Amino acid sequence: MRIAVTRTGGFAGITRRAELDTTGRPDAGRLHALAHEVLTASDSGTPVGVPDGFVYEITVDGRTVRCADPHLSGAQRKLIQQVLKEGA
Amino acid sequence: MHLPARYTLELDAAHRTRRRIGALPTAVPDTATGPDHPVRTIYDARHQQTLPGEKVRAEGAGPAKDQPVNHAYDGLGATFTLYLRAYGRHSIDGRGLPLNASVHYGQGYNNAFWDGKQMVFGDGDGRIFQDFTGSVDVIGHELTHGVTQYTANLEYFGQSGALNESVSDVFGSVIKQYALRQTVDQADWLIGADVLAPGIHGTALRSMKAPGTAYDDPTLGKDPQPATMDGYVSTSQDNGGVHINSGIPNHAFYLVAAALGGHSWERAGQIWYDTLTGGALASDADFAAFARATATAAQTRYGDGEEYQTVLKAWSQVGVPAAPTGTALPRQASPQQQAPEGAQPPSQG
Repeated sequence: MRIAVTRTGGFAGITRRAELDTTGRPDAGRLHALAHEVLTASDSGTPVGVPDGFVYEITVDGRTVRCADPHLSGAQRKLIQQVLKEGA
Repeated sequence: MHLPARYTLELDAAHRTRRRIGALPTAVPDTATGPDHPVRTIYDARHQQTLPGEKVRAEGAGPAKDQPVNHAYDGLGATFTLYLRAYGRHSIDGRGLPLNASVHYGQGYNNAFWDGKQMVFGDGDGRIFQDFTGSVDVIGHELTHGVTQYTANLEYFGQSGALNESVSDVFGSVIKQYALRQTVDQADWLIGADVLAPGIHGTALRSMKAPGTAYDDPTLGKDPQPATMDGYVSTSQDNGGVHINSGIPNHAFYLVAAALGGHSWERAGQIWYDTLTGGALASDADFAAFARATATAAQTRYGDGEEYQTVLKAWSQVGVPAAPTGTALPRQASPQQQAPEGAQPPSQG
């Protein structure tokens, strides 16, 4: 499973993108569960964010959902942090 | 920028003076309400993302041991003071809204924002960014999103979104200049100079004096801001490039302030403040509509003289038409504004 996260906006307005492949990873099961939860609980529309808030695009095997700070679910936050390897 | 203690003392003294002045009936507009001092509460999110967190400093309490708490407290105070003393505005909403802020939001969180009700500060990851309470212009920027929310309410997308961002940069910088009592020549016109981590190649996140030159770094990339309409960036990212194209109105403000000289919060800041709060600006205003509104604001407050001409010239230099519709354009008009050779002059009346 390929999971990509693109983060735009923020005070700096700097885009960050990262992607990981779960194949062969020891934590693949946990990542699959998180990705599944994020896909089922999010939608693909434009999220309502706040000025300077981060906006995230999460793509799992070609399917994309969007979310925005400060209204992330626990699963969205964990998955974003895991992929971007940066405080989300 | 960390505000030294003496500035805090100076600001407190200014509050006391203001309270005495405020007793005079003509000191502030009749519509203004609320106390002449801020009502601040700082919370510690303890690296969680649940707001607001634990209360750690209330208005009037002494400094905390944790510096971000004090930087946030002082930055909220500097913002409140600029709006009150320069423009007679009582807090973000003009009605004495208490100012709340949470520090230590998330883990290594590389951002700060106004969530519609309060300020939120991350610590930065230490690699790209450090503590977001460290730049008073960042604090002023975020709180000005609140002022915009209560006034022109510029839609956060495309050109109106870039104007929303620009207004926050403008007053963020003005708030810092006011706190440091700097003239336009002394000011650095930088946004976020103190939040870049050591080792990042750059001076700040944005430069109003020279958009596009703030940073050039292997990790961050290069500052993408244009200074004029020639470099306008069309993109679907970042709400239509709100943090990119804000360089254009940012530079227009800088040009006005630099040409008028003295203190930016006086005539230049007053014109921009009148534009933001005057009630005539549409929430979906584009650059040209905003430029016209600043020209009208300059004319209304100062007449047809230096201020009005300076505003027209500045917008012309960044390639945005500012003259009222039907009025002859000044000679410095940008190429977009000039009629092609051989075109008929517009009919009068």
